[in-house]
Amino acid sequence: MNGVISSVATVSIVYAVLIFLVALYAHQRKDKKRSIISNPVVYALSLGVYCTTWTFFGSIGKAATTGIDFLMIYLGPSLTAFSWLFLLRRIIRISKEHNITSIADFISQRYGKSPWLGALVTLISLLGIMPYIALQLKAVSTSFNLLSGTQASATGFVTVGSGADIPTGLILALVLALFSIIFGARRLVSSERHEGLIAAVAFESLVKLVALLAVGLFVTYGLFDGFTDIFTRLNNSDPERFAQLFTFDTSGTNPDYISTFTLLFLSMSAIMLLPRQFHVMVIENSDERHIATAMWLFPAYLFLINLFVMPIAIGGILTTGSSSNADYFVISLPQQAGYHGIALLAFLGGMSAAAGMVMVESIAISTMLLNHIFMPIIIRLTPRAWFPALLINLKRFGIVLVILLGYFYFLVIGDSYTLVNMGLISFSAAAQFLPAMLGGLYWKRGNKAGAISGLLLGFLVWLYTLLIPSFSMSGWIPHTLLSHGPFGITLLKPTELFGLTDMDLWSHSLFWSMLFNISAYIICSILLNQSEHERDQVHRFIGVFDRDESRRRTERKRLSKPVTAEQFITLMSKFIGESEARLAFKQYSNGTIGTGTISEFELPNLKRFAEKTLAGSVGGAAANAIVSSFLSDLGSSMEPVYDIFSTVRANLDQNRESLFVRLKASEIINRTLDLQVIMDDLLALLVKEFKFDVALISTRKDGGAFTIISTQGGLIQSLNPPDWYPEHGPFLDLAYGDQKAHFINDLRLEHTASPLDQTVAAGFIASAHIPIFREGEPVIAVLSLFSKSIAGLFTQEFIELLSSLAGQLAQAITIVQEVNAKQLERSQKEAALLKTARITRDMEIAQQIQESFLPESAPVIAGVDIAGRCISAAHVGGDYYDFFLRGDHIVDLVIADISGHSVGAALIMSEVRTLLRTEANSTHPPRAVLETLNIQLHDDLSRAELFITMFYAEYNSVTGVLCYANAGHNHPVLLRTDDTVFHELDTEGLILGVKKEVVFEEGSIDLVPGDLLLFYTDGLTEASNATGEMFGTARAYNHLKAHRRLSATEILDSLYAVIHEFTGSQDLQDDISMIVIKIR
Amino acid sequence: MKGLLAQIIRRLQLRESWVIFFILGIIMMTFPFMHIFNQPILLLGYPLLFLYLVVGWVISIIVIYLFMIASRTNGGSATEKDEP
Repeated sequence: MNGVISSVATVSIVYAVLIFLVALYAHQRKDKKRSIISNPVVYALSLGVYCTTWTFFGSIGKAATTGIDFLMIYLGPSLTAFSWLFLLRRIIRISKEHNITSIADFISQRYGKSPWLGALVTLISLLGIMPYIALQLKAVSTSFNLLSGTQASATGFVTVGSGADIPTGLILALVLALFSIIFGARRLVSSERHEGLIAAVAFESLVKLVALLAVGLFVTYGLFDGFTDIFTRLNNSDPERFAQLFTFDTSGTNPDYISTFTLLFLSMSAIMLLPRQFHVMVIENSDERHIATAMWLFPAYLFLINLFVMPIAIGGILTTGSSSNADYFVISLPQQAGYHGIALLAFLGGMSAAAGMVMVESIAISTMLLNHIFMPIIIRLTPRAWFPALLINLKRFGIVLVILLGYFYFLVIGDSYTLVNMGLISFSAAAQFLPAMLGGLYWKRGNKAGAISGLLLGFLVWLYTLLIPSFSMSGWIPHTLLSHGPFGITLLKPTELFGLTDMDLWSHSLFWSMLFNISAYIICSILLNQSEHERDQVHRFIGVFDRDESRRRTERKRLSKPVTAEQFITLMSKFIGESEARLAFKQYSNGTIGTGTISEFELPNLKRFAEKTLAGSVGGAAANAIVSSFLSDLGSSMEPVYDIFSTVRANLDQNRESLFVRLKASEIINRTLDLQVIMDDLLALLVKEFKFDVALISTRKDGGAFTIISTQGGLIQSLNPPDWYPEHGPFLDLAYGDQKAHFINDLRLEHTASPLDQTVAAGFIASAHIPIFREGEPVIAVLSLFSKSIAGLFTQEFIELLSSLAGQLAQAITIVQEVNAKQLERSQKEAALLKTARITRDMEIAQQIQESFLPESAPVIAGVDIAGRCISAAHVGGDYYDFFLRGDHIVDLVIADISGHSVGAALIMSEVRTLLRTEANSTHPPRAVLETLNIQLHDDLSRAELFITMFYAEYNSVTGVLCYANAGHNHPVLLRTDDTVFHELDTEGLILGVKKEVVFEEGSIDLVPGDLLLFYTDGLTEASNATGEMFGTARAYNHLKAHRRLSATEILDSLYAVIHEFTGSQDLQDDISMIVIKIR
Repeated sequence: MKGLLAQIIRRLQLRESWVIFFILGIIMMTFPFMHIFNQPILLLGYPLLFLYLVVGWVISIIVIYLFMIASRTNGGSATEKDEP
């Protein structure tokens, strides 16, 4: 007996060694960069890990007892395969981008990297998979006992001859745990593919297929005569059983399609959602294109492996006569027929099936345990040197825990459940992930609260309606719970919840758990809002195929304090070991980033890289927490407080640094009205706060050349432009033209139309030119900033901040300019006023002088009464009259009007006066006087563009003769006593100043006593009233006639009075001069 | 014949075709269809329901295989762009 055991054990060990060799070979191939697992066929075979001992033993058991509905478990995945091109591809794409390590990680990341959600999914997986592991242990240990012929207790203890108990199940569990650790937990990085594991799993898939096909062929064509023979024999010998096996549940009146559908649904979700399926399908996928092949190859694999299940089951029934212990027909049938070799092959197939499943499952779940249960605790501790060792051992511990929990369940349940029924409990648990998963992939509103509540409720219902009853059926929990419900409440009976009877265990549990799960998920998602962080993730998950968009959103961050790459490496070393960390960084940076200070542009990427790398080991939620707390310790947190230019979630109190700069800027602007000080201080602020190397403001002069008006930073404090500066002229022109900021984030890479070689040679790597202007107004100047250290400095947010500062500056400049303009205007006005006052004063003086030129009084000559007066309109006028007495009976009378009322006219007048005075002393007749005067004045007059009209008369009181000559003046008027007719004294003569040689005609008239003469200027006749009517000669003559009896002075007075009365004003439009001569 | 095949392959590139076949598969696995074949009789020596499921399965695998050929003809990743 011991010999059989040892031979079976030997074969098992040899087989194990073979698997190791396969794994080793895979590793070697991977090291040579010729991976064997990067192959669609291997990928499809690795998916065959779905077929466990459940398929190998359990399906046949189920086929022999309940019949063909076992097939549903495989038809479901075949149907699901239709959706893989969208669903699976999407999941893989997301997982690759986020370095996802497990289904728990996936769900947690989708819902805002929630640690609670990750823990919940891990818990469900851990408990849910327990029966499944137990199934494997039970199947293998039972088949071992069967093959070795030992009798075993239900708990798998084999009693051998010596009396010692060998706990086959426990040994198997430990061996499998060891295998899993070797394959899956040698290193920590779990998002890295396990080449050896997958190669082993694919190989095992092949072995179990070959084994089952061999047994099937042996039974169908060895023991029987093909398919039809088996079916016909059963139909003939036992038609009742035939009907039972080949139809769905015909025992009741209605065929039960519900349970069929339940099986279909469970298997459809299990193929994607079981932790190990997710692991091989998604995490271990090396190329998205493998999906296409797997889509048909995997269903074909399932088809082949199930093809002979029905014949074997029926063959077993026909051979043994019953369906008892049908789970192990694959071994017992060849064994009874004496074909031990085939039985051994079948055993190896079963062991392959179990080993593959247990390894992958335990590795997947231990990863989840590490990342979602252990890590959240560990990250609260200060990282220490021994952390990598701790983490890897925790992962190993997780593997052992998973398998031992399965073993524990196996001990408790024993024989009370068939293999398939144990597995279905796990399937139901995995199905709980479906709403959160599908909703997470396609429903934007699906939120964390919904996922947590849905999963929690679904899990609790599953626990209550499936797991607890399984304990109860095995007697581990009092059976009364099942028969009478808790505390005797029948409505709460776990298998007939709320009175739902007549339903099989799985459909019942599925209905209630899904009802609560989906309802809670949908209701909470609709009622509650997503957090900011969650929304980001939703965008990344659902918009995974709009990659550019998702990229752009993530890069928009800028930090305030420098961080070194070395610090990142140190941080990562604490979790994944130093060599791994350095290798990862090397691969990431590709040598482009030194280990020194990293640019602020690079930092967000490095942060993502660090998160991603850590996520590979500790899961997304934990990685996020680790890196965030690391950065916040350094004072460079990406938290909104430090995220100074983020517009996405800009919020006043979060944007402190930006606010600080704005505040400082407005302080500077409001402090003074000196533009130079404002510009210098503002540039100094920018240089200090943002570490610019050069900051300057330049403006365009009329000619188009730029002049620097303020500068700060590395430049010498002069306004002479540096050599490299003219290279930026085109950018300044651009900024002037389109009023937009023009920046280059890496001068070394930029290939612009205008070369910036000198700038680059001067060591600058980033530049920006920001126009300074007010909205809707032309650009005043350009703010230019240069950095020598930080490429990629000018993010959109930063440029916006700088533009806004430029706007503030423009405002300040405008204000200063306005203030200055006002001041200038005021002083100009004052000056003008002063000037006017001075001129007025001068004019007054001029007027006084001019008035003094006019004769103070008329000469007194016997027989003549003369009066003359001039009233000026302006301060200085152009009218002139004078008397020159020659001897005691001759008097010269002159009246003139110089065009214009300017000072020029006044000056000419004084000249005329001077000339006339000298002339008057001679005895020239009036005609000669005018001719001489014209010659003398001509040049002056034509230079000043002035003219003079003049009437010159000489009166001899002895002879009573008035000789006269006229240079274009108004004709004086003569009124004689004897008639009423007015005589105008007129002679030919041109205005003075037109022509140099002019001949004047001389006239003469004898005056008799009573004659009244009036000499006047045109101011008299042209004086007009408000309606524009002129005073005219008629009025003047009539007035003279009416007042001829008055004295000369009185006539003058009355004439002036009547003119003032006529014009209705004291102010005259023109000078009015008059001379009245009355002959007595 | 060749034209027909090309026509079929072109139709299979449509996203809708995948969804239709997926739903069709589920319908074939549930009540009305199952009920038709849920008879304890032998057809050509095979139980009717067994034959139905096995043949249906083979057909579904062939359909997926055709889909895959179709998606390859279309450059492999064309269907991705239709993702909502």
